[in-house]
Amino acid sequence: MIAAVERSASEIDDLDTLVHLYWTRVFRFALASLRDPDAAGSVAQDCFLRAYRSREQFRGDCSIQSWLMRIAVNLIRDYARNRRLQFWKRASASAVDLEAVSQWIPDDDASPESRAMAREQLAAVWKAAGGLSERQRTVFLLRFVEDMDLLEIAAATGMKEGTVKLHLFRALQAVRERIGRSQ
Amino acid sequence: MSQHLSSQEISQWMIGERTPQQEQHVRQCSECGAELARLQAALALFRGSVRHCSGRQSRSEPSDIASILSVRRGPRIQPMRWALAAAALLVLAAVPIYRNAQDRQRQAEIARADTLLLEQVDAEVSRAVPRPMEPLVKLVSWDFSSTIQNEEIR
Repeated sequence: MIAAVERSASEIDDLDTLVHLYWTRVFRFALASLRDPDAAGSVAQDCFLRAYRSREQFRGDCSIQSWLMRIAVNLIRDYARNRRLQFWKRASASAVDLEAVSQWIPDDDASPESRAMAREQLAAVWKAAGGLSERQRTVFLLRFVEDMDLLEIAAATGMKEGTVKLHLFRALQAVRERIGRSQ
Repeated sequence: MSQHLSSQEISQWMIGERTPQQEQHVRQCSECGAELARLQAALALFRGSVRHCSGRQSRSEPSDIASILSVRRGPRIQPMRWALAAAALLVLAAVPIYRNAQDRQRQAEIARADTLLLEQVDAEVSRAVPRPMEPLVKLVSWDFSSTIQNEEIR
């Protein structure tokens, strides 16, 4: 345990390694949350800078990823509130093209009907995620995009595990409802 | 368990909350299995879509690291800047204090001079006759009480 904490602390001391290991995740989470590549880049940079500056406060009671995500969650919340923009409700004005990302289907071997259905489902999930509350969206993205477990999400968001479950449950209900409507 | 999973139970299943009976039912029920598979496939598509989008939009790491590193040097310079700002503030704050002390000193000197002048004036006013007439008073001195008695007798 002590060795793990010392290793974690040394990882944080090396900003280059920290950025190299976690940049993609932090940027992806910020992009999925804000839907703006410029804002996501700023948030990711601020996240690593804050993490580096406050590295002495890291006690190793959670993983570095959870710690970084916690900083990112706070930054994203502050950013969205400061700008007073509701990115997810303004798909047309956002930098990420919702139509384009909904068209992304990896399996080329699928039939045209299956691909069309998958596209509809994908668009429905994107739209449903856009309609979620800030907390629901955060836990939804951390769980189903970043593959974090409930305890990690609790550590990253500062919520209790039960609260995480509740937000996740409501988010899933909303997504399922939207998928059902799209069919 | 023979009943299909309810909408709530499907969402709970996706969170990871499931009973052994539900697991057994899903293994046997193609309808519930298909519903769960459909939801899992939609979420997997979403995950892939976000990752694909992020991969396209992501900035190249080296430039980002460089910019972060350039900001990282900030804190070393920052204390110096704060120290200079604090010193400037101290100087600015000291000027009025110094001026105030000088003003007080000047006012004290003026007050002392005024007091001296007043004492001199008091001394002049308290004389019975002006200073040039004082020799005459010494020469012509009379008994004021006896003069009054004589006036009363008359």
